[in-house]
Amino acid sequence: MTNNWNRREFLQKTSAATLAALAAGAPVASLVSGCAGNAKTTRRGTADTVILLWMAGGMAHTETFDPKRFTPYTTGMEGNRVLSTFKSVPTVLDGIHFSDGLQSIGKVMDRGTLIRSYVAADMGHILHSRHQYNWHTCYEPPQTVAAPHIGAWIANQLGPKNPVIPAFIDIGQRFTLGEGEELKAFHTSGFLGNEFGPFFIPDPSQGMESVRPPVGMDARRFERRNQLYNELIKNGPVGEFGSDYQKESLRQSMEQAYRLLKSPEAKAFDLSSEPKASYDIYNTGRFGLGCLMARRLTEQGARFISVTTEYEPFKGWDTHENGHTRMENMKCQIDGPIAQLILDLEKTGHLDRTLVILASEFSRDMMVEGRPDATVREQVNQPDVLNDPKFYGMHRHFTDGCSVLMFGGGVKKGSVYGKTADERPCKTIENPIHIDGLHQTIYHALGIDPETQYEVEKRPFYTTPDGKGKAVMDLLV
Amino acid sequence: MQENLLKEIFNVLNFDSIVSILVESFWLWQFLGRLHPMLVHFPVGLLCIALLLEGLSWFRKSTELRPGINALLWIGTISAILAAGLGLILVNQEDYAGQGVTIHQWAGISTMVLAILTLAALRTGRLTLYRGLLVLTVVGVSVAGHYGAMLTHGDDYLSSVLPFGDKSGLPKSSDATVAFASFNTGQPLTGKQVAELNLEVRSILAHNCYSCHSETKTKGELRLDRKELIFKGGKHGVILKTGHPEDSEIIRRISLPADHKESMPTKGKHLNEKEIALLSLWIKAGAPWPDGPEKSLYRVAALAPRLPVLPPATVDITNPIDRLVNAYFHTNKVQWKSVVDDHTYIRRVYLDIIGLIPTPAQIQVFEANTRPDKREALVKQLLARNDDYAQHWLTFWNDALRNDYSGTGYITKGRFDITNWLYASLKKNKPYNWFVRELISPNEESAGFIKGIKWRGTINASQRTEMQAAQNVAQVLLGLNLKCASCHDSFVSDWKLADAYAFANIFADTTLEINRCDKPTGKLAGRRILYKELGTISVDAPTEQRLRELADFLVQPKDGRLYRTLVNRVWAQLMGRGIVEPVDVMDNEPWSQDLLDWLAYDFVQNGYDIKKLMYTITTSKTYQLPSVGIKDAGLVTAPTFVFEGMVRRRLTAEQFTDAVSLAFMPVYQDTSLVKMLPPAMHKSIPFARASLVKNDPFQTALGRPNRETVSTSRTSQANLLQALELTNGTTFTETLKRGAERWKAQYPTTDSLVTALYRQSLGRNPQPKELAVARKMLGKESRVEGIEDLVWAISLHPEFQLIY
Repeated sequence: MTNNWNRREFLQKTSAATLAALAAGAPVASLVSGCAGNAKTTRRGTADTVILLWMAGGMAHTETFDPKRFTPYTTGMEGNRVLSTFKSVPTVLDGIHFSDGLQSIGKVMDRGTLIRSYVAADMGHILHSRHQYNWHTCYEPPQTVAAPHIGAWIANQLGPKNPVIPAFIDIGQRFTLGEGEELKAFHTSGFLGNEFGPFFIPDPSQGMESVRPPVGMDARRFERRNQLYNELIKNGPVGEFGSDYQKESLRQSMEQAYRLLKSPEAKAFDLSSEPKASYDIYNTGRFGLGCLMARRLTEQGARFISVTTEYEPFKGWDTHENGHTRMENMKCQIDGPIAQLILDLEKTGHLDRTLVILASEFSRDMMVEGRPDATVREQVNQPDVLNDPKFYGMHRHFTDGCSVLMFGGGVKKGSVYGKTADERPCKTIENPIHIDGLHQTIYHALGIDPETQYEVEKRPFYTTPDGKGKAVMDLLV
Repeated sequence: MQENLLKEIFNVLNFDSIVSILVESFWLWQFLGRLHPMLVHFPVGLLCIALLLEGLSWFRKSTELRPGINALLWIGTISAILAAGLGLILVNQEDYAGQGVTIHQWAGISTMVLAILTLAALRTGRLTLYRGLLVLTVVGVSVAGHYGAMLTHGDDYLSSVLPFGDKSGLPKSSDATVAFASFNTGQPLTGKQVAELNLEVRSILAHNCYSCHSETKTKGELRLDRKELIFKGGKHGVILKTGHPEDSEIIRRISLPADHKESMPTKGKHLNEKEIALLSLWIKAGAPWPDGPEKSLYRVAALAPRLPVLPPATVDITNPIDRLVNAYFHTNKVQWKSVVDDHTYIRRVYLDIIGLIPTPAQIQVFEANTRPDKREALVKQLLARNDDYAQHWLTFWNDALRNDYSGTGYITKGRFDITNWLYASLKKNKPYNWFVRELISPNEESAGFIKGIKWRGTINASQRTEMQAAQNVAQVLLGLNLKCASCHDSFVSDWKLADAYAFANIFADTTLEINRCDKPTGKLAGRRILYKELGTISVDAPTEQRLRELADFLVQPKDGRLYRTLVNRVWAQLMGRGIVEPVDVMDNEPWSQDLLDWLAYDFVQNGYDIKKLMYTITTSKTYQLPSVGIKDAGLVTAPTFVFEGMVRRRLTAEQFTDAVSLAFMPVYQDTSLVKMLPPAMHKSIPFARASLVKNDPFQTALGRPNRETVSTSRTSQANLLQALELTNGTTFTETLKRGAERWKAQYPTTDSLVTALYRQSLGRNPQPKELAVARKMLGKESRVEGIEDLVWAISLHPEFQLIY
């Protein structure tokens, strides 16, 4: 935004300050450096970095962060009787329980806020990737223009925090799996332009591959190659290719890539340099290692990092059978690494300005598909009476009450927001929060104006539909 | 003398009106007036220097500078008198008014008087008085100068570059606001400003108020969507008093705190300061709203075709394009440059027509050819390479028709590709009217375009497949944005929600209900074509018949818009910038209406033949002009653009991949070719061309769009993610490895290898310096690693990357 001081006001307002500064021997540059670089926002937020921990596939709230009455399995039992298939365990917060298996996260809840009232969009017959699209872009697909991922908006608004680390890093998702094309549709910077798009690290244990010279090329050769490139350009015919933006942007980008690949910060992608004891705590699989990489990248100045448990139809949190046993495994994957991530960030002082969010596209229930007052067509048939342990679990998609965790970056500590019913349907009964509110809260914490927009095809396209949605100030300090 | 002068000056001042009459509309006065800015810098400088020297004299206690100061003062004072005089002429001659002018005028005159007094004091030897007056004179010069600068450069000329500032008042985030700056001077708004102001106002009203105060819902009996209704007001009376925002109910209501019970809007977000300020501004300006049909607000391009009169041919300018461009150049004072050499031409035309770089042999033959019409012959020959042509243009059309080999929708059978149909149509050079006809009134193979992408579940009403068809047909084929109007009446054009629905309804099996911003209105859509001059759709006929009618109506020669859109797209592809930009907004002003009209007219005359169109363009002198580099990507589409020749472009993802494949080593294996093509076709594919493989991280990084939505232009700008993919991505790295082995085996010596590589990739021999660098890299026996690195460096060289 350009300011609208006029010349006269400028002289009036600055003359006194100028004279004072000159008298004090201040360098002239200090007179004009009163603003925050090229930031497009007007307010400094409470966070600089975002880590999104994505529970892909629909994480059942009653089996994780919002447990209800536990009913153990008996053959022939009625599904309707089962609200949770796990015992509840206490957390560090008074009267707040988690589902068994999440004890470690329970112990760090005094550092964050638990939201128990996220209500996912109502989009009819469930398709995971549509709800994920909605969560990540704040818009419902399809759209007439390519909607940007929240990470792309943040990259666009705030730029990289450290110029050699890509502003938007996406860890853990492969796109060769089922619904991969649907996932690609929102893992994009859309109309904002490719430069704000995600830098993909599909496998964190191979992270270094993405930021080091090609396999088989040592540092010396890499340097020589770059030198050769510059020499050839210098010695080639000049003039006719003059200076234009394509050439200039190519030169700059190549230079930037070269710098990243050579930079000490690139080591953040190399998990093998992590001390073994620490590595082992995180190493519960790809997701855990993703958390470790997120921590390392945060320390080096990343802006937005998404770490996913990875979406693959009928895998991960997408439990359509054996829900109970599958859930045990998922909790195992996330509990230790997430708790450790929070503790590590706290120890290094990064937690204060790093917003960590754990979320999923929707929740699950044993009986209700969709929401109680608007159920939709079944995806997978489920029996009402359980004659086999494989039916014991939350196998239907539920959109009316989901849990979200937030830590650091200006979020209240040890707080709980919203509530779901203790009997089926376990839907939100207090302080519902929707996707636009959640996004606005994140943007608010980052100091991004709620009405941030981008004009595309002559239409204003806001970060949240029509610029609506309000930051939930109760979540923030 | 002093007294006389003073008297004269004051006489002039007292008789401003006489001056006005005297100087009225005579060119010399105007000319003299305009000398004022030139002259003022003189006294400014001289008087300041006089003070400086005077200070020096005082400091040194010497008088040796006095004669110089004396002269400076004399010249400075006379200049000041002249400047004041000319300034008075200027202010009467041209449109200057306002407080700033008054202050400037009196500051200038005072300065002049002070200068005269200073001179007088000096001459009478009153040194202290003289020094004091000199200081005052320089202060006067500064004040007058400052206000003068504000008049010339704007109020915030100085402060606008500062990084901090007062953010209150009207933020200048939108261009429109900037345009309104002059409003506050009290001058009447220009027609264009009125249009912009009204547009902004309507946009604010539409976004914030129409949901309750328009045709479909009229709370408090108030409607804000039509001029007479706004002025009529609602249940509680009038809502605005023109010229008096402070007494206007609407401003009072929107300015109330959100929790006040009379605050508006009651639903949705509160208007921000800027929006309120704009509405106030608008009311203050008399609430301008164009009478009659609202067409007048926006530029609407003519629908009918038009054959412009061709400017006369000259000895070397015979091609109709060149004749039209010649006239354009004449008007815009652009000089013709000589056409590019053979080497540049052959590379350019190869890449543009078939998407491949020429081989060294092809270049050699062409360069050796001495026939005068060899360029025409080359173009003909390239256009006749039907498969190569189709494989290149497939990329453009895939983007535009959002046809892809993978993507959303296929998983739930909600999407159909048209690859086979498209390939065959391009290969056959299907006349464009038939091409369009088959897209709109499709056969099984071409149905994918209007069927759109259907996601599982419920979707926004503005994205139902019929609406997608309407939007895509409008955007791609008619260069018309219907996306706004498919949700609510458009704020950037005259298209209404009802128009968009009526158009979409042609594609619908059952009558659509109009939804406004995804809320059903209870009204059923009509059925009509966007331009009713083109024909009337049989409302109750079966869908198939309606689509046939629509196709027939749209492809008629009298639908100039369809053909202008097409020729503009082809022009943009070949020249790097459309005659109209953006290419999807054909209502925008072309840089040459005659050229656009002629191309479209000629295209129809020539049997809707796209290849003929390309022939006409690529054999013109205009196409053969040296390419133009543009410093900032934003300037390419700016309305201030002046055409001077082809705008330099970067190779597309597909062109780059194919160039590497051809010059060095195929990037893709034949097994990567998409399965949609019939196996028989594989014979006509020289190597796995990038246009025929699925999108992958390599293509994405290089700019191939995901084809979920229509995409009609790609960016030429590089970025970090792309550079990383090119620096260490597996696709490229693997290609380099495979290729290097083969090249090493083929070329025993370093020199022969480097020479061959330069010839294959850049179509020329390496220069001695380049050869020296390469030798250093490769060593005597051409290490494989060295070859990889050299190829990498060449392929990222601007000479390889650009179409120039």
